[in-house]
This record gives sequence, structure tokens and C-alpha cells, in this order.
Amino acid sequence: MNRRLAAGMLAGSLAAAALVFFLLGHVRAGAQQEVALGELSQNSSLWVIPQQNYSALRHSALTEITTDNVKSLKIAWQMSTGATRGHEGQPLVIGDTLYYESAYPNHVYAVDLSDYHIRWEFTPKQDSFAVSVACCDLVNRGVAYGDGMIIANALDGTVYALSASSGSVVWRFKQADPELGQTVTSAPFVIQERNRVIVGVSGGEYGVRGYVTGLDLHTGRRVWRAYSMGPDSDTLTGGPAFHGPHNAGVSTWRGDQWKVGGGTTWGWYAYDPSLDLLYYGTGNPGTWNPSVRPGDNKWSMTIFARKPETGQAVWAFQMTPHDQWDYDGVNEMILADIKIHGQQVPALVHFDRNGFAFELNRQTGKPVLIEKYDPSVNWASGFNLATGRPIEDPRYNTHEGHNTTGICPASIGSKDQQPASFDPQTGYFIVPTNHWCEDYQPFAVKYKAGFPYVGAIVKMYRGPGDYGGALIAWDPDSGRIVWSDHEHFPAWSGVLTTDGGVAFYGTMDGWFKAVSTKDGSLLFKQKMPSGMIANPIAFQHGGHEYIAMLDGVGGWAGIGLAAGLTNPTAGLGAVGAASDLGKYTTLGGDLTIFSL
Amino acid sequence: MKSSDLMWRALCVGTALAIIGLPGFVRAQAHGALRVCADPNYMPYSDRSGAGFENKIAKLVGRALGRPVQYYWTSSRGISEYGEFLHQTIEAGKCDLLVDVPYGMVQVDSTSPYYVSSYVFVFKKSAGYDLTSLDSPVLRHVKLGYETETPVEDGLKLRTLTIGAKPFETADDPDASPDRMLDAIETGEINVGLTWDPAVGYYLKSHPDLVAVAIPNSRSQGSPEQYSFPMAMATRSSDKALNAQVSGVISTHRAQIDAVLREYNIRFFTPGTDE
Repeated sequence: MNRRLAAGMLAGSLAAAALVFFLLGHVRAGAQQEVALGELSQNSSLWVIPQQNYSALRHSALTEITTDNVKSLKIAWQMSTGATRGHEGQPLVIGDTLYYESAYPNHVYAVDLSDYHIRWEFTPKQDSFAVSVACCDLVNRGVAYGDGMIIANALDGTVYALSASSGSVVWRFKQADPELGQTVTSAPFVIQERNRVIVGVSGGEYGVRGYVTGLDLHTGRRVWRAYSMGPDSDTLTGGPAFHGPHNAGVSTWRGDQWKVGGGTTWGWYAYDPSLDLLYYGTGNPGTWNPSVRPGDNKWSMTIFARKPETGQAVWAFQMTPHDQWDYDGVNEMILADIKIHGQQVPALVHFDRNGFAFELNRQTGKPVLIEKYDPSVNWASGFNLATGRPIEDPRYNTHEGHNTTGICPASIGSKDQQPASFDPQTGYFIVPTNHWCEDYQPFAVKYKAGFPYVGAIVKMYRGPGDYGGALIAWDPDSGRIVWSDHEHFPAWSGVLTTDGGVAFYGTMDGWFKAVSTKDGSLLFKQKMPSGMIANPIAFQHGGHEYIAMLDGVGGWAGIGLAAGLTNPTAGLGAVGAASDLGKYTTLGGDLTIFSL
Repeated sequence: MKSSDLMWRALCVGTALAIIGLPGFVRAQAHGALRVCADPNYMPYSDRSGAGFENKIAKLVGRALGRPVQYYWTSSRGISEYGEFLHQTIEAGKCDLLVDVPYGMVQVDSTSPYYVSSYVFVFKKSAGYDLTSLDSPVLRHVKLGYETETPVEDGLKLRTLTIGAKPFETADDPDASPDRMLDAIETGEINVGLTWDPAVGYYLKSHPDLVAVAIPNSRSQGSPEQYSFPMAMATRSSDKALNAQVSGVISTHRAQIDAVLREYNIRFFTPGTDE
């Protein structure tokens, strides 16, 4: 079957059964040309990209489940993932097969949707050293698909391309070295039309200099690598193609500090096929003590737009220059053509850890609107749109040896990596948020005759109003919150919206919820075996709509973190590890499929 | 005569005196000896016989710069602590170089980092503890030992784990060896020791029944907790030229530096290298 024919068939909006047939035929034939992934993602029966589509909307056009009937939602089937660490990913549905990856040890499963039998299972042999260096739990954010292969990242930094039909290894690539403190927790991002797999890296606190690698989808060969800091030749910010300062990855650091500059790349990626631009964010600058690294510390905390074939940067926008609060900039990038202040904009919308929603023109990287999406945010009063820089409140700057109190948000951010959804019906972004503030005393790097030392004093506690998080609806036109559903804990799962008018999400204390996208009213809830930090998806099989969700609590906001919440003044030493969250849930790992 | 000229003359006289005072100094050196401050009795870091890894690294740097190493010995340990050591040594102009300090330490001017290592759990292999972080449940059921005034002590305090645990004060006692913690594990006085890997890696070679597992950086209690550190050398903040030279040696002598670190069983090598 040739590409022209495939495209023609798709353009004719063929029936799901025919598509499945086509896919199976393709997989068996073994990959010369395939229907473009971008087009495939428009079939709402399937879920072929971790973010749902290149634009990362996480919105399903399915309409069988509605605001009226969602109260009758039932569990159709369930499966243990065989792992109990934090599950931050989501399944894919391709043809009649559901694929997903568990938290460490990173089991990958292919499950037949007709009778739920496991077609194949793959567990990588990992460098167990990775377990000892992975920061903030042994999470995983899911597999990607392309060219008849399932692409899976293992914690130890190995990228596996597995035959979607058999699970056998087609190629592998070593993206990270745990011996250097590097791990991989993020989902791979396949841009099939450009023959690329994009992979990031975690481990910013180990003297790692963050980077993104572009691999050849067919062979797993490394084509390019773009560092987050360093000279233009490392950051791929050279030449006239880049609209920004040159060599800023060196000049905005003192001395050679950029060599251990952090800026890891463990978040969610997006791609605009018409502009041919890949978008992602970089994490916090190393070292943790801002007093010892003067300067803007570019390109940490930055949204990058790059050409996926070469890695060449086209623009870069730094959200938190000279970070003093650990507000990693890796959260999801959502590409939507929306009205902002009444003007139509090809926008990139990003809800950053620093508590501001960034609505940029994704072609130019110029900010159009930057507003707080939690009114308690206080480290900056706002942003100067002309300069793109924050208007900081000096009361909440942090200095070595000084305890700054009442900073909002806390280091976990007004939102972490948990991805929001764009709902075209209402025009709202439905955003899972955190609502914590903190006292922060930066870390003085000291030495004590043989023992290096960092004195860290950070206390986190619920923000104003005494809630821990919220699901909010954000109007991108006005830059305002429309409605807000408060949660006891940070809302650390992703969100799915559907054309049935429903938004789905899970809570850390174990409730899977459906609410109205219009007003946030609760329509359905189901207690799950473990708390949720994963992302719901929708698919259609046998003519019916299904909602799939992983549970398995953990991650940064996992068990221990909740301790500080119940007793904010207790501070160091007083709070037992799992006391609060442990009242509601336990560790686990399950896949649950709902239907009417 | 300008005051800078006066200073230069004084420096020349000082250097000449230093050269005369050096018995082993035969080759004419443009910059004279590379003066290193070190502890005369703190293995595996350094000792007067030159057996520590700091001694080996200093020799390597000296050779690369074409300068013989000259030591200024004084204990870095005791109740007056490391700040006093800095005050009496590099800040007092007694030496040009410190070989092992955390990268980013503010009192000195650190070079590029030349290794990254981590605090570790040390325990008997036969115990088979499932230890992956300070939140591992097994820590609540075993006898713990830790080095005081370190990030692991803070991490234990956060989790109310210092109660009943045995403190070790290696950095306060000029005669103590980091090896004591390993002995305490062997005798069963403690089951799990928490310490800085380079302090014990050298001794672990003669304890094949013990295993060390890195403690991950963590945020499980909300606060960022850092247990791994990039380590660097340090120069006086006025000596930018030497700082740049030493950073240059670190990048050009990667393999030799790694070989020394390996000899001392220091793990987690090489920050910031490309593959």
C-alpha cells in the first residue's frame, strides 16, 4: 500500500474497522511508508501520541459519554501494572491494541482490546544504578508510537524501539548515563513526518547539563543533540535562523558554571507541522543556591522552538531568568489557535511552575499574554510584555543565609508536569494545579573536612484558603480563571476533555472524577486502588467510548511530601513520613478502563 | 615608583626566597612551586607521605603546569572547623590551591568540577536491605550511623530517624578515620551507615562483604534534599589566572584524573562530558 493511497483513504474519513485492518496490514508488512502520525492522531477512536496529538490538546471528539450519562460510568476491565512506583503516563490505543508502560521497572505491555489478553510484554534489563540516582521517585510518562514501533524510555536512559506487533527490539539508543546522575522519565516524542524521535533527560541536580536528542526514527541513530546551555555550537542557537542573543548559554553564567548548568528536559513536547517547529521547556539551573550563580543562567527555564530535523533553534523564551525558587520550565506546551484579548493568535499556551500562564505567538516566540493562574502567586507581580521579563517583588527574592517566608507558589509550582487539556467547545484550558506556598532559605554550599554540605531549609504548606490544589478552567482570551474545584492535595494528574462536555482527572487521594467543562460541577467519582498522578485518555472500540486511566501514586508530590501538609508549622523533624496521604491511599499500579 | 611595581618587586623577592628554600627544586620554573594546603593526617584525602588522592591529584596538576608541588600542612579538622582551616591557609596566602572542595562553595573560587559523588548507604551485602532512598521503610527497623553536620543528618532528622542512631564525628577529630563507620557495621554496632562515598570508598576495597548504595537527591519531604555534589579544586579569589589554568588541566587530563579517582574507589565520574 503506497503513501498516496493511504492518504487518500484517510482523507475519505474511512471507518475505524478499515483503519484497523490497514494498520495491522502495515505492521505485518513491516514499514516502508505509513500513514502520517499527525493524520492518524485525528482519528478519535485511537490515541497514538502520548499527548494525544502534536498540539498536545488532550481533547477527544468522542461524544458517547456525556454530562448526562457519565454518572452511569462503570469499570469495564482492570489490570495490575506489576509496578508500584509513580505512574505519570497514559496508554496508547493503536488499532485493536492498547500499549502502556509502567513505572520502574518499566514493564511495557501490548493488550488485545477484544479479549484483554496480553499480546506481548517487555521489561528492559536496566542498570540498577539508575534507581539510586533518580530524583523524586521512579516515575515514567509513557510510550510513543511511530513507523510500526512502540518507543519506550527506560529509567536507566536506554531508548527501546519495539516492534508493535511482536515486542521484539528493533533498535536501542543510550540517551543517558546513570553513572553521571542522568536518567530518563519522560515519554519519547515521535515526529514521524520528519523521521525523528525526540528524547529528553532528567537529573539536573547531579552536575548534568541538560540536553535534547533527535534520533532517526528508523534506525535509532543520533542525528543531533542540543544542550540547554553552552556556546552556540552546543545549544544550536547559531546562525541567522535563531532570533535571540548568541552564546547567551555561556555569557549569562559566571565562569564555567554553565558546564554543570542543569536545564534538564523531562517534560512534555509539542510540534507544529505547518511551522515545522518542535517545542519544549528546560528545567532549573544548577546549582541550587542562586547566590553562587549570578546572571540570567540561560537557557535554563526556557521555552525552545527548534527545527526537528536538525535541532536548530529558531526562538527561545526564558520565563524565569536567574531562578531562585526551583520553578522548572518543563511543563507541557499546548498549541492552539485562539483569541487573546479578542485577537486571533497562533498560540503556544504553557502553564509554568512559576504560577504564570504564558500565551506566546508560537511562530515568533513573542508573548501576547502572561497572567497568574493562581491569584496567590507573589514572587512577581506580573510580566513586562515588551521585555518578556518578570516584575519581581524583592520581598520574595531568596538569598543565601536568609529565610524568605510566604513565597507562593512553593517549589513544586502552581502546577508541575501534570498536563492540562484544551477544550475547543468551551474555549477553556482545563488545568490541574497545586496550591502551596513555602518558606525558603537557599543552600549554602559548605565543606566540613571531607564532607560537602548544603544547608536546605524549605517548608511547604497549603496556600491561602487552606486547600492543596485545584482543577481550574482558564479563559485564554481574558487571562482569567472561570471556575475552580478545590482539592485537599495538589491535583497531580493530567486532564482529558471530551466533546461530551466532560473533563476527567484523578486525585492523589484516589478519586477518579468527571466534571462539567462548563462549570466544573462534579458528575461522577470512583475510588481507585491507589492515588493518581497519571493522565486519562479516551478511545473507541467496538463502537463504544472508553476512558482509560493509570493509578499508582508517587512522584515528587508522593507519599512523603504530603506529610508537610497536615501540620505546616511542624517543620523539620516533627512529621512522620506518610501520615496524611497514607490515610487515603497506598502505593499501587493499575490500569482501569471505564465505559457506560 | 607605583605601588603595583613595589608589590611586584616584593613578590619577586618572596619567590626567590621560596626557591632557595626548596631543596628539591632543580629546574628553573617561571612560576615557582604550586603551593597546596592539605591535611597531614586525613586519609583517604591526604597525608604527609603523599598517600591520599588529593596528593595524587595535586601532583598531576603540578606536573601539567610544570610546577613542583609544595605543601603547607595543617589539620582541617577540630572544633574550629573547616572555616578556620580556610582562614589560616588559603585566605592567609599560605597556599595557592585546595584540591577537594564542593563546586560553588562561596568562601573560595572553585574551578570546574572534576568529579561528582554522593552520600551513600553502607551495609552488609548479606543483609540484602532494599535501600533506595531515605524513605525506604527498612531504615525504621535497623540501627543507623551517620556523619554529623552533613546533609544526611538533616535528611534523617526530617524523618525522625536520628533518635537512637549513632553519630560519627570524623570531621571534628583530627585522629579519627572515616573507616570507623565500616568497623561499626562489621561488628553489628550499626546495620546501616550513612556517609560520603569518597570518604569510605578507599576502605571499602578491604571490606568486600560491604556494599555502598547512593542516596538519591530527593524532594519526598517537600524540601529539595541534595546528597550528590560536584567537587572541584579551589584557588584564592584574587588568582583568576591559576583558576583558569587548573580548570584547563581538568579538561585536558580527564583520563589521568579519572584513573586516580578509580584507584581510590571514588565513584560517579565526570560531570558535563559529552558521552
